Amino acid sequence: MAKNTRGIEVAEIISDKCIACQICIAECPVGAIELNSAGVAEVDPELCVGCGKCFDSCPVNAVRFEKKKRRPFPLEKAAEPGAPQQKTDRGVAVFIETVDGRGAPVSWELTGKAGELARQLDAKVLGFVLGSNVSGVAEEAIAYGCDEVHLVDDPRLSRYLPATFGKALSDLCEKVRPEIFLIGATALGRDLAGAVATRLQTGLTADCTGLFIEKETGLLLMTRPTFGGNIMATIFCQRKRPQMSSVRPRVFAAPQKDGERKGIVSRHKFSPPTVELPEFVQFIPAGDDAATDIVSFPALVVAGRGACDRSSLPLLEELAQLVGGVLACSRPVVQAGLLPYERQVGQTGRTVAPRLYIGVGVSGAVQHLVAIQGAEKILAINSDPNAPIFRVADAGIVGNYQEIVPELIARLRDKRS
Amino acid sequence: MHVAVCIKQVPDTAEVKIDPETNTLVRAGIESMANPYDMTALEEALRLKDKYGAKVTALSMGPPQADSVLRQALSMGADDAVLLSDRAFAGADTLATSYTLSKAIETLGLAQPVDLVLCGKQAIDGDTAQTGPGIAERLGLTQFTYVIDVESIDPDTRRVRVRRKVDGGFEVISGRLPALLSVELELATPRRASLPMLIDSFRAPIKIWDAKAINASLDLVGLKGSPTWVKAIASPQVHRAGPKWDAAQGLSQAVSAAMDTLFSDENFAAAFQKGWKP
Amino acid sequence: MEEKFDVAIVGAGPAGISAACVLADRGAKVIVVERGEYPGSKNMFGGVLYGQSLGRVIPDYAQKSCPIERNIVESRISYLSEEGSIGFAYRDQAFFGKLHNNAFTVGRAKFDRWFAEQARAKGALVVCSTVVTDLLRDGAGRVIGVKTDRADGELHAKVVLLADGINSPLAVKSGFRPEARPESVALAVKELIELPEEVIDERFGVSAGNGVTIEILGSVTLGMNGVAFVYTNRRSISLGIGANLCDFAKQRVRPYEMIERLKLHPAISPLIKGGKPREYLAHWLPEGGWESVPKLFHDGLLIAGDSAMLFNALHREGSNLAMTSGRLAAETILHALEKGDFTSRTLKGYAARMEESFVLKDLKKYRRFPSFLKTHGELFTTLPRGALEALREILTVDDTPKETRRKSAWRAIRGRLTPLGLLRLLFDAWRSIR
Repeated sequence: MAKNTRGIEVAEIISDKCIACQICIAECPVGAIELNSAGVAEVDPELCVGCGKCFDSCPVNAVRFEKKKRRPFPLEKAAEPGAPQQKTDRGVAVFIETVDGRGAPVSWELTGKAGELARQLDAKVLGFVLGSNVSGVAEEAIAYGCDEVHLVDDPRLSRYLPATFGKALSDLCEKVRPEIFLIGATALGRDLAGAVATRLQTGLTADCTGLFIEKETGLLLMTRPTFGGNIMATIFCQRKRPQMSSVRPRVFAAPQKDGERKGIVSRHKFSPPTVELPEFVQFIPAGDDAATDIVSFPALVVAGRGACDRSSLPLLEELAQLVGGVLACSRPVVQAGLLPYERQVGQTGRTVAPRLYIGVGVSGAVQHLVAIQGAEKILAINSDPNAPIFRVADAGIVGNYQEIVPELIARLRDKRS
Repeated sequence: MHVAVCIKQVPDTAEVKIDPETNTLVRAGIESMANPYDMTALEEALRLKDKYGAKVTALSMGPPQADSVLRQALSMGADDAVLLSDRAFAGADTLATSYTLSKAIETLGLAQPVDLVLCGKQAIDGDTAQTGPGIAERLGLTQFTYVIDVESIDPDTRRVRVRRKVDGGFEVISGRLPALLSVELELATPRRASLPMLIDSFRAPIKIWDAKAINASLDLVGLKGSPTWVKAIASPQVHRAGPKWDAAQGLSQAVSAAMDTLFSDENFAAAFQKGWKP
Repeated sequence: MEEKFDVAIVGAGPAGISAACVLADRGAKVIVVERGEYPGSKNMFGGVLYGQSLGRVIPDYAQKSCPIERNIVESRISYLSEEGSIGFAYRDQAFFGKLHNNAFTVGRAKFDRWFAEQARAKGALVVCSTVVTDLLRDGAGRVIGVKTDRADGELHAKVVLLADGINSPLAVKSGFRPEARPESVALAVKELIELPEEVIDERFGVSAGNGVTIEILGSVTLGMNGVAFVYTNRRSISLGIGANLCDFAKQRVRPYEMIERLKLHPAISPLIKGGKPREYLAHWLPEGGWESVPKLFHDGLLIAGDSAMLFNALHREGSNLAMTSGRLAAETILHALEKGDFTSRTLKGYAARMEESFVLKDLKKYRRFPSFLKTHGELFTTLPRGALEALREILTVDDTPKETRRKSAWRAIRGRLTPLGLLRLLFDAWRSIR
């Protein structure tokens, strides 16, 4: 172990492991750690006093430091409004987004997940419904697993505005005090979640792909892709409540609707914010091509870098039609201008969960793979036998897609008829 | 008019990977860059400068090296640049970050009130898209996310009208200033600096503000002000790894073998034959 | 643009930055224009730098956290045939002590950025993502600045230093250097193979920051005039192979196939076993030697580094030639600034300095070496095979009398090379480096 000139055994940061979360920088009592020009933390050995705080706090074991025993992480046992939570803090709440007077599918995916979490915490599933004339949604929410529905039904909530919805929702949280609060990461939800978390001064973890309860602490562990989907980080929120998380559509499966389920609906008054609100001018529907919502198709044929060729599109379209789906693509194809952004599958595009996914010339960069996890069956066609897509595929064919796809079309025709 | 633009320095994420075996980050030669969404926001701010003579202040939070993104902003035409740098800011999550930035914007406003805050929709390293809404909420700004066009700003009535992306289309909406816009990449293509501006940007002074300078509470910034912590990192899970066949060894065998594997699940095969109808 | 610089340097590689450091240190107003996104982003070389030439520019480089990968304590030369290798290894305690960092490995992306930072700290301006498209000249044809691809992109300077590498389209376009002929250029490819630090330490018998270089000759270049190398970095191994561009064209060999083949060689594969390829790079090397070095000075212009084709093919040295030429160019420019004369009358002092230095002395001494390699293809084909067989004969222990073994060993060589041919090879070799 390295010593400095004063003979102190100093900590050292393993640069390959460091994720630049800067926790050690904040923890170091003597200011010996800084981010270097390579963007990773670095210990100044002459300033280091060898206390080992950085070693204890590093979430990824990137600190080399000789210490007899590592203190268990997290550092502090749940503090302040703390554990065990008061009865009032025991609900797992879900924001029920409404579209045309009905609950959005992502909301039910979340009530399903909330049910799982609530069982482990011995808590209730709470549905928060906002809008105008949305009592029908409250019934739906119970059928999809809510034990209690908290409803704010007010004409001033007929159109989404972050100011009104943010206010209504944070008021509701303060009243009902859920332990966990889940919001669907739709365009609306992402916006709203940030506003609500700020109002409540609590932690929010965006775009989670996994939610678990840690047995020992009862804390919510939230897994999310970061660094453009190249890395999965597990996040927790120890001191503030609710523990908020937004989840992309189609990450979790929705439960069966159960019309027999019973639950309580409580209505709450809306107290609008005092600020001047924006004024809606008009809605412009997206153009035809852009409007193709790839996530709604049961099958997708996805063109990747290896099939980034305009002349091949008709062939792939034909395959897509044959399997009852639509043509989508990975990022290079959008960048080449062959298909619009709306057709892009991936971390920066759409997360999809079709029943059948056929990747043609898709190599399978991690950011693409995380976005197709939910597909039921994956068929990969690629000329490179080492392409990562084969690791997630149910079946793969190695070779030239221009030969394989026509053969596949012929066989599928037989199969269909 | 005074426009503040928030710019984050991010690693070029396309290159950050985890070694699946050792579970360590592979970051050989990774470059830092200005978050592309934020550069779009800056370009829009500079257009407002060209059009309305707005003053543009670029704002970034990070270690002292993050001044490079601010210099880039100056080279493109920003009038002023402020780096929020303090050891106390380290380890901030989005809540602490939005607090710090909002305190800085308040401080900027002491000299000249800020009418418009522009920021990217999200940063490409975290993808959270929370900092913008957080700032708006704290400062009581009118919030417009996913902006793809700033249609008009009326300095007299102090209203801004934008077109934003929503599910299924676009929405035109107008609201009062001061406002915060978080922008999509489609909004603008960042300009390339001229050589004299580029040269000058290297010599320009960059203000560095610490927690005290923006009158921020030390309990609310950095790790201390961050309710969320990272517990661990991992490679994304890859699963399945079904069999594969080489078309070079026989095209039709490969295709039929792959299809047999795919349709070995009877329910799946039946659903396919029925055209996925239940 | 109104502003006038003392010196505009094209290219932020070792040559350009060395010059920038020396100039800025002495208060000259310097700007370096780099086409890459950052210094080093477009650069590649084998991986070895030399402490002395760097120390002449940044004396306290080690204290300034220069991103050194490993201090080289052992140099090996391997002569490979298809089936085996003959090696020579030299390790010296001196390299642990007084000659520490005589040679060391670096990664270009890290080192070049660090090096440019040093120049910036001394006051030089380094602007990136900017391509110099042309030279500016006055009525008399004197170079008075450069033109870049940015808006208002003209840059006036008293002297321009071209240090933009072997691909310097600028030098060619302005007629200061003929386009490099394929026979005086080598194409080198390199792969970075990642391995844990401890594994590298163990495989190469080194510890804590020390490392080994291996230069490889023989049949691995498939009969082409070329070499391969293995260099140890901290947590990776650089494996490279290069050959004359002409030969590539003639033999229709793909460089990446060569590197794949090299990786499978029984003498190489154990060194990189279990490693993960991280990066694949390709670059040209100026191998023409003395003959290909252009005129180094003109009115208002100097040429340094690879742009001036400065490369010692025998000793595989390039970066030190680049750094030294950059430094000498800077010293010449400082002299010119003092005198206020930027014509070739003063700038020719650069050529004189270069001739005085090891750079041109070495190149001149080895001027016949490039053609020696070119005319002796057997070095890469039959000779390694013969040499290996001869040694096999000598070192196989059985009942055969030594006299018989010695004879068959000699036959192994002679069967491939006539005594006259061998004599010529030795004579030419001696003459080329005399």
